[in-house]
Amino acid sequence: MKKSKLFMGLGALALVGVLLVAADHIDAPGSMGTSADIADFYAFEPSLGSDNTVFAVDLQSNVLPDLAYGTFDENVLLEINIDKDGDLVEDLVIQAIPRDGKMYFFGPVAPNETGLNGTVMVDSPLGSVDISAETAIVETTSNGVSLFAGPRQDAFYFDFFQFNAVIGGEAPLGFKPAGDPSTTDDDDTTAVDTFDGANTMSIVIEIPNSLLGETTAVNVLQLPVYKTWVTTNVKQ
Amino acid sequence: MLNNNNLINITKMKFKNIKYTFLSLCAVAALVSCDNDDDNMPIVMTPTCNDGIMNGDETGVDCGGTCTPCEDAMQPTMPDFTGTYAQVDFMGRPGINTVLSADGDIKNSHNMSIPSEMQATFQAAFEARLEAYHDVYATILGADPAAVNFEPNILGDILNGPTDDGYTNNPVTATVLTTVLSNDVLEVAPNLPTTYFNGGSGAPNYDGAVGLTGRTPQDDVIDVSLILLFGGGDGARFSGQDTDNDGMADLPRLTSDGVGLTATVGTTFPYLGSPE
Repeated sequence: MKKSKLFMGLGALALVGVLLVAADHIDAPGSMGTSADIADFYAFEPSLGSDNTVFAVDLQSNVLPDLAYGTFDENVLLEINIDKDGDLVEDLVIQAIPRDGKMYFFGPVAPNETGLNGTVMVDSPLGSVDISAETAIVETTSNGVSLFAGPRQDAFYFDFFQFNAVIGGEAPLGFKPAGDPSTTDDDDTTAVDTFDGANTMSIVIEIPNSLLGETTAVNVLQLPVYKTWVTTNVKQ
Repeated sequence: MLNNNNLINITKMKFKNIKYTFLSLCAVAALVSCDNDDDNMPIVMTPTCNDGIMNGDETGVDCGGTCTPCEDAMQPTMPDFTGTYAQVDFMGRPGINTVLSADGDIKNSHNMSIPSEMQATFQAAFEARLEAYHDVYATILGADPAAVNFEPNILGDILNGPTDDGYTNNPVTATVLTTVLSNDVLEVAPNLPTTYFNGGSGAPNYDGAVGLTGRTPQDDVIDVSLILLFGGGDGARFSGQDTDNDGMADLPRLTSDGVGLTATVGTTFPYLGSPE
């Protein structure tokens, strides 16, 4: 029996009992489930030929019970970091921090200091937007930057329970095959998107590339790129 | 609306205030007897920016003109953003910390790191983790864990061109791959279509392969990651193959998690769908 062949040696495996959620959702004990937990990060050209770049950051998640979800924390500063010369040090930051129902944005601007600690770049205000409820409230600044902050669907998709079984050595067959999307997966034989139905607290900014400027950084295909990452930072 | 009586009253009030101001100035200066007798008023008063009255070229009391600008009462005050903010979480490419950091301590350490120091700090640990995943399935398959290792992936084939066989001259070793991934930043190309990665027509020619220009919500970042970690030179090394044609899988399915986008993603700002 092939199946028994696959199961051979299973008993010898060390089972990993750690609950893991990706892409970055609840990725580490230190930030897991806090109001500062980064769930996901997207950076993309919004449409073919657009001269804008979109940065979307998801904070918090209700994918599992008892997680912090639903309110932006006024003590948490979100920072989008942009390296334009390939040294992996931020040349520009865009910051977002809430106050009294509004999300305030700053930058893009060279930060006062790079690295693990920073301050709000109050001399470079970009704009603000009312934090949305279910219906999206969008603000567009005079220089063409669109701003949004509020709850959104979590667009991430992943059969993460099966992933945990896979890396724990509990799934000799690996991942499950794709199911028929028109039927309900009630026999546990096909893959399930763990994040289907989950929500997250999103901050989205669409910005003209002219405000970010030229980049000399390149990817492995030698295409010019902004090298970007996001951090959450808690007031000390 | 103001009517004439209001205007008169306001004018009287202003006059009264000015009069009191003047009287107090007189008292402080003690130069003259302060009554309403115009004959005894001091003739010359040089306007200053702290005399308590609007005079000279001031646009308000002791402000504007050659004095400091007047504060605009309509200007909203900026909330207080003072203080130092310290990093507690980090994200570049999707899934890097989750998948390649072996335990909670490494994950916490990664979130408290900066990209310029990540390669030196995490590359070796990431490579060990990558090999450990292969050991899990070596054991399941009854093979020697030391004999089942990461194989250079399709990125190397695409970079080297279709003439390469995907194995012998493929530069994307476990060390190279984890070096690239340990520099954990999401690269986004301005003014180019965004694709996280798409192998095009696949092995061996990869016609139309594109990628590394950013990440859209639609991109299947998990399948891409699985293909690069477990797919080997043709992208399908461990994909549930039935090698002896008996209708049962002989190799685990590790190159796709089997799910696609389920959330709503729009074509206009803010792109992400309303909460469910």
